[in-house]
Amino acid sequence: MTSTLRLLSALLAGTAAIAATPALAADPIKIGVVTPLSGTYAGIGQQVRWGLELAATEVNAAGGIMGRPVELSFEDEEANPSVAVQKAEKLFQVNKVDFLTGTVNSGSTLAVGQLAERAGKLIATTVSFADSITADKCSPNVFRVNARAGQQSAALASWLAKEKPQAKVFYLGPDYEMGRSTVAAFRSNVDRVGGSSLGEVFAPLDSKDYTQYFGQIRATRPQVLYTSVAGTDTVRLFTQLQEFGLLGNITVLGASGTVTAQNIGAIGKAADGFVTGVGYSAEIATPENKRFVEAFKAAAKTDPDLYGADSYGLIFAYKAAVEKAGSTDTDKVREALRGLTWKTPQGEKTLRAGDHQAEQTMYVVRVAGGQFKIVSEIPGPDAIGADTCTKF
Amino acid sequence: MREPAPTETPAPARDPLTTAMRASHVLAGVLVVGALAFAAFGAAVGDTFYLRLATEALIFAGLALAVDILLGYTGLLSLGQALYFGLGAYVSALTLMAVPSFWAAFGAALLAGTVVGLVGGVIANRVRGVYFALITFGMAQVVGKVVYNTRALGASDGLIGVPVVDIGFGPWSFSSASPAGLFLFVLGYVMVLYAVAAYILDTPLGRLLIAMRANEGRVAFLGYRPVTARLIAYVIAAVVASLSGALYPMLRGFVSPELLFFTTSGNAVITVITGGAGTLVGALYGSLLLTVIKSYVGSWTEHHLIVIGLLFMAVVIFLPRGLIGLVRPKIERMLSRERKP
Repeated sequence: MTSTLRLLSALLAGTAAIAATPALAADPIKIGVVTPLSGTYAGIGQQVRWGLELAATEVNAAGGIMGRPVELSFEDEEANPSVAVQKAEKLFQVNKVDFLTGTVNSGSTLAVGQLAERAGKLIATTVSFADSITADKCSPNVFRVNARAGQQSAALASWLAKEKPQAKVFYLGPDYEMGRSTVAAFRSNVDRVGGSSLGEVFAPLDSKDYTQYFGQIRATRPQVLYTSVAGTDTVRLFTQLQEFGLLGNITVLGASGTVTAQNIGAIGKAADGFVTGVGYSAEIATPENKRFVEAFKAAAKTDPDLYGADSYGLIFAYKAAVEKAGSTDTDKVREALRGLTWKTPQGEKTLRAGDHQAEQTMYVVRVAGGQFKIVSEIPGPDAIGADTCTKF
Repeated sequence: MREPAPTETPAPARDPLTTAMRASHVLAGVLVVGALAFAAFGAAVGDTFYLRLATEALIFAGLALAVDILLGYTGLLSLGQALYFGLGAYVSALTLMAVPSFWAAFGAALLAGTVVGLVGGVIANRVRGVYFALITFGMAQVVGKVVYNTRALGASDGLIGVPVVDIGFGPWSFSSASPAGLFLFVLGYVMVLYAVAAYILDTPLGRLLIAMRANEGRVAFLGYRPVTARLIAYVIAAVVASLSGALYPMLRGFVSPELLFFTTSGNAVITVITGGAGTLVGALYGSLLLTVIKSYVGSWTEHHLIVIGLLFMAVVIFLPRGLIGLVRPKIERMLSRERKP
């Protein structure tokens, strides 16, 4: 209900802007948003929604895109590709949206991307981080404005090469496909920057006891422990590491989802010193970001996270592309988006023409006193990795 | 001499089960007529979304049909029928990606459904009642998680890139990308599944299954082996679910592990109970109704699951025979009246 009200007020703000600027054509530019509004990923969907709504309100207040107001239509995808595809088809065929975004899990993005390709429309994801979306499963109709897993991993590895050259690394991942692939990706990055890998173990999801792996970790004497566990698993792993006194001489690195705002409180002091690579942090000390964080807080009563910030930035990319193309036509906008450089709260981003992946500055953050602090910036070109898309 | 009054030959009393099944056929006929009108209208206005949404509803109706064979006729609550639906979908997707032929995908899904259904049936039928529900649930979760973690099957991302195929019968053929064509085809396909299921359930084997739902202990005393009958029912339901699942990648062009998860199985059970368990046609109407409700309510509020939940509870409390229970008894009465002179 509250979100309906919020949507209404956003729309009203948009209408008010039209009334204020008589030059605006009545015909709005429609952007469809298929995002999880219920279920496990509702929290992410909420950030996506806040980010997009804030950007749409600001764009409309400034006169819209080519004088046309932006109108957002939301649909709940329940983080299920089958639902996402059905809802996306509705937005394309019934609501006649010009552009679509919002998908969170990678399966939804891939499936909706294929639908867009067959329907001759464009989509962009602001959340999904599976490398495949802009690599082997790339599509000419899909863009990604957020950092993919490889960029996070590469950023962390270049920090590692600088801070701890020739580091000896041990890996501990959750035993499922994504856990194994994140470990494999970081391991190849460590090998690339000249570190050495001592060994890896995979613990079942929802493990209660991680101490059984500690003997193996201690025996190999690593300087660095990389982990990609998440949620409450991180809480148990970190507190047990602390109780066994392993945190004293080992630096713990992890995936961006390992320590988050949701579990950092429960981990407490054990999280101190944890380092990860991200594409956005509310701590970024640029005037653009400070203004964005304030506006976001005023609208949503909470801090933006990377999903909110990436979604906010997308609207401005689309605005720039449509204005450059002079139309919302799929082929023209695609051409305009390819190679586009635009400003976001995170700094400048560039959509690489070869695979439609955004190149952006990456940040390495470290936990200190329960807060993430930026410790290093990795320039975009160093983190983006090779263009492996062969489809276009 | 007066002729003796002709002895009233007792009209070969058609038993109520046959009458009930005929009433279902009447409703199925109504559904087909309605669907044809809808397809004609949809094609005339050049609609894509609603035709494809209805096609998806029919595909999930096939899954609900499988659940009804088990729940409504045999009295077995399967909480894992999505296992076979997802199996059919994955097998069909993999076949289509290798050989873009409808009949190859159909054959592969038929074979896979039968084989895996037999194996699953042997495991699940060792127990009854709530344990059967738990085992079917567990098997589907295990297979779902295995698919979710198998990179060769696309892992959590699923498989995209299932090609558009031409579905052909002799001289006729059409593309699976044509909304009206695919809708009509899926309508015919699901009605054939319905007809085959209805035929089997009207044979002595079907009667045996219904008897087992009432009292399985007595069936054994009548000289039948309930285990065999249950296994046959289980395999039929597995094949129906698998053949329905085989259509999914033709419509959507992808498969994802969510097709095997409990949400899919649970929705099918809700569909059957809302439509009317033990009617077969209730599964079809239930699926169409729930798909439309979900699509509309889902666009209107993110609390759509509450709406579905309330509808489900209302049906269970006020319409224990499902929505079909509102009309079918009337048709049954009309049918049995027709037979009297």
